[in-house]
Amino acid sequence: MTQSSCDALHFFRGGGMMEVCGSSTVSLREFGCEQSLLSRPDGSASFTQGDTSVLAGVYGPAEVKVSKEIYDRATLEVLVQPKVGLPSVRERLQEQCVRETCEASLLLSLHPRSSLTLILQVLHDDGSLLSCFLNAACMALMDAGLPMSCLFCAVTCAIDTDGQITTDPTAAQEKESRALMTFAIDSTERKVLMSSTKGSFSVSELQQCIAVSQKASEKIFQFYRDSVRRRYSKIL
Amino acid sequence: MAAGFKTAEPLEYHRSFLRENCRPDGRELSEFRTTTLNIGSISTADGSALVKIGNTTVICGIKAELANPTVEAPGKGYIVPNVDLPPLCSSRFRPGPPGEQAQAASQFVADVIESSELIQTEDLCIERGKLCWVLYCDLMCLDYDGNLLDACIMALLSALKNTQLPEVTINTETGSPEVNFKKRHELRIHKHPVATSFCIFDESILIVDPTSDEESLVTAQLTVVTDDEGRLCSVYKPGGTSVSGEKLQQCINQATARQREIQKLINKVISSVKTAQ
Amino acid sequence: MKDTPLANCERDFLLKAFEEKKRLDGRQTYDYRKIKITFGTDYGCCFVDLGKTRVMAQVSCELVAPKDNRPNEGILFFNIELSPMASPVFEQGRQSELSVKLNRQLERCLRNSKCIDTESLCVVSGEKVWQIRVDVHTLNHDGNLMDAASIAAITALCHFRRPDVAIQGDDVTVYGPEERDPIPLSIYHMPISVSFSFFQQGTYLLVDPCEREERVMDGLLMIAMNKHREICSIQSSGGIMLLRDQVMRCSKIASVKVSEITDLISKALENDKKARKAGSKCGFAESIPQERITALKMEGTPVDVEGVTERASYVVQKAGTPPQTVPSPVVPLPGVGQVGEGIHSTWGMEEEEEENNISGDEEDKVIQMEVDKEDSKRGDVVEISDSEEEEVVILNPETPDKTPKSKPPSSHQKVAAKTKKKQKK
Repeated sequence: MTQSSCDALHFFRGGGMMEVCGSSTVSLREFGCEQSLLSRPDGSASFTQGDTSVLAGVYGPAEVKVSKEIYDRATLEVLVQPKVGLPSVRERLQEQCVRETCEASLLLSLHPRSSLTLILQVLHDDGSLLSCFLNAACMALMDAGLPMSCLFCAVTCAIDTDGQITTDPTAAQEKESRALMTFAIDSTERKVLMSSTKGSFSVSELQQCIAVSQKASEKIFQFYRDSVRRRYSKIL
Repeated sequence: MAAGFKTAEPLEYHRSFLRENCRPDGRELSEFRTTTLNIGSISTADGSALVKIGNTTVICGIKAELANPTVEAPGKGYIVPNVDLPPLCSSRFRPGPPGEQAQAASQFVADVIESSELIQTEDLCIERGKLCWVLYCDLMCLDYDGNLLDACIMALLSALKNTQLPEVTINTETGSPEVNFKKRHELRIHKHPVATSFCIFDESILIVDPTSDEESLVTAQLTVVTDDEGRLCSVYKPGGTSVSGEKLQQCINQATARQREIQKLINKVISSVKTAQ
Repeated sequence: MKDTPLANCERDFLLKAFEEKKRLDGRQTYDYRKIKITFGTDYGCCFVDLGKTRVMAQVSCELVAPKDNRPNEGILFFNIELSPMASPVFEQGRQSELSVKLNRQLERCLRNSKCIDTESLCVVSGEKVWQIRVDVHTLNHDGNLMDAASIAAITALCHFRRPDVAIQGDDVTVYGPEERDPIPLSIYHMPISVSFSFFQQGTYLLVDPCEREERVMDGLLMIAMNKHREICSIQSSGGIMLLRDQVMRCSKIASVKVSEITDLISKALENDKKARKAGSKCGFAESIPQERITALKMEGTPVDVEGVTERASYVVQKAGTPPQTVPSPVVPLPGVGQVGEGIHSTWGMEEEEEENNISGDEEDKVIQMEVDKEDSKRGDVVEISDSEEEEVVILNPETPDKTPKSKPPSSHQKVAAKTKKKQKK
């Protein structure tokens, strides 16, 4: 979290704004991304959202194990590596979310009987980890040059006890929140590709968070475009 | 002929039904399979329930054990759900350590328990920092025919509602717990979360309560968990083709109706057990 | 995934180059690749770049019970995770030969050298000690993972701060970083591993082999040393015979390299300390180089949320409200309920009744336990029920140990009758 956005937040907590969540000002933390930073993987990217950072590496399309072979499309395997210890059941669920989201946007049928491996390494968790995973995954897939039908980005929304929506929350904000939702949005129609929630919330809160995520996704897609433009521009 | 068509071109087979707004098993798109609930199926467990949605069968047994609370949460007990998909329930599962689907389902159930607050873990505490209950919720799938999550959540809720915990007193002299099996009391269930699963066929057609054949052909899956107050406990869509907010809202409405239906069923069965006693 | 094989001509080319005292990346025989040390946001998180090889080490701690034979000592645990990200050959969750080798070497280098004061990690003797866990993740494998891992691990251990604790009677209070400043570990010395690879049966020697060089080498010698020129561990692998002079020469080179690397680590730690003191941002996000076209940073941006509430309420209203009335469930027997008119369950009603009765019986059992003497209750039920099935079940005690001995013998016959009936079905 940058100093400025931190101030902004304190300002309006302190200001006692108790309006309905939709009308408050929400913001994204500082975003950073570096592609092709590792030499071994076919595509790699690091993605940072504030202090949260994730490193992603993609291998493939390559030879597939016979037991995992699918005759009409490529097999995508997603591995989430936690920072401390070995991957547990929680990581399995995150892997499932990332894998199925990537499967929806990748044109896997172009590489039948082959394997794709996406590895996500947590570098630092300061909230919105799942959305950072998805954003890093998308950048790494782009870097690997894999054919995709659309891009995707993810936004985490937290609803605090006052009913205020905070996008891209820090770990502290996540802890204070009463509900937490992560949505992946596709770049063509801005629809919901993935949804994962925690805590209980009302229907209208859900719809508001989706709408906020759709708005925030515009900023992230713009960031994607800027970084790709910079990458192929030869000018800093 | 039809059987051959189904084997050779499963997708086309299903599409031909969906074009007529019905499904191969004769259901409409938004129709659930017959749901049967049996409570108290396992006598040795502290609480149990068996749920059948169509052919999908899930049995849940609750085992309560005394344990020390964790240092981080001294005033709370804990609930450990575990979903088991043995090779018995379908040929797609192999023996050995739990596969990805089983692990993901276990985590999903754990998340629903936490999100819905169906049990306040404070209720499971016997003495702060010293003694608490651990509820091991073992969910075993006996027959897998799609829609595992709905069956799991329903079995879990019914089993928890059926659970009777013995009274525990701590002996002031020795400091050791004494369990009084004669005096049992029910668990306090605060919320009634019910899961409803949907599938998206060919990126646009929405169907509820998918069978395993349908699950293997669809482009996206979605599970909505709602509680008795109409609040959402989980909107879980691991990926797949995208859905709009409007479509999601339709699903939520259906899930809300389903929640009422299932809650009514559970309550009625529970009361039938009580009157039978 | 299988590794890309190394072609014979590549192999020959590399070996020929070594004969001419040349290396593929232009280094001299005794040169290390460029070492870069960066720190994460947390204490105890360290990234080491050794040329293209990249590893991350994270130190964490936990209060545990000590080992029985060492009640006053903390526990050190090392784990090198060969993540599939580093190389497609590495598989998740599989203990390969390489990972065992690296783990053992790291343990020898850092634990057996007693470079960390484990006694200072004791909180309550025989009850609670700190377990320090070092996780090393390989991120990119371009040879010499061991040296990179050892630098990362020792730097992370130097950087790490554990929470302060206070003991009052039996209670141990762990203070968060806001309440009390965390405490660094006490480290006596810093062992660093230096790898030497041998080619042509030991004729040629190279320091810090890259991945290609590792693949054509005949043998490897790893020397772990501290800056006081004390050897902490020495290991030769690959099955080559080394002369005494060769080992002596290697240890001399190692001592030079170790003092260089130690200086670099101290400098990096010093810089990080200054940066943290000054309150400027540190961590991975800061280490993204800005002068590359592959990297981009975007300042925190506000999101325009105009019309969000309207959109949400529009969507909710458009979908209408769910039906208030729901079909009533059917309860054919106590303990069983059914809802829905979809496809019929294959759970036939007849079987169901049986199943039910058993469960009903089990319900009774609970009562049994409560009432202990079940006679009166049971008597009642028998009178009410008139179906044969029901009767059978009621008299069928599936738990003979719990039922009183005064059961009429006829019940056993009926049980037998029932089992027969089941078999027929």
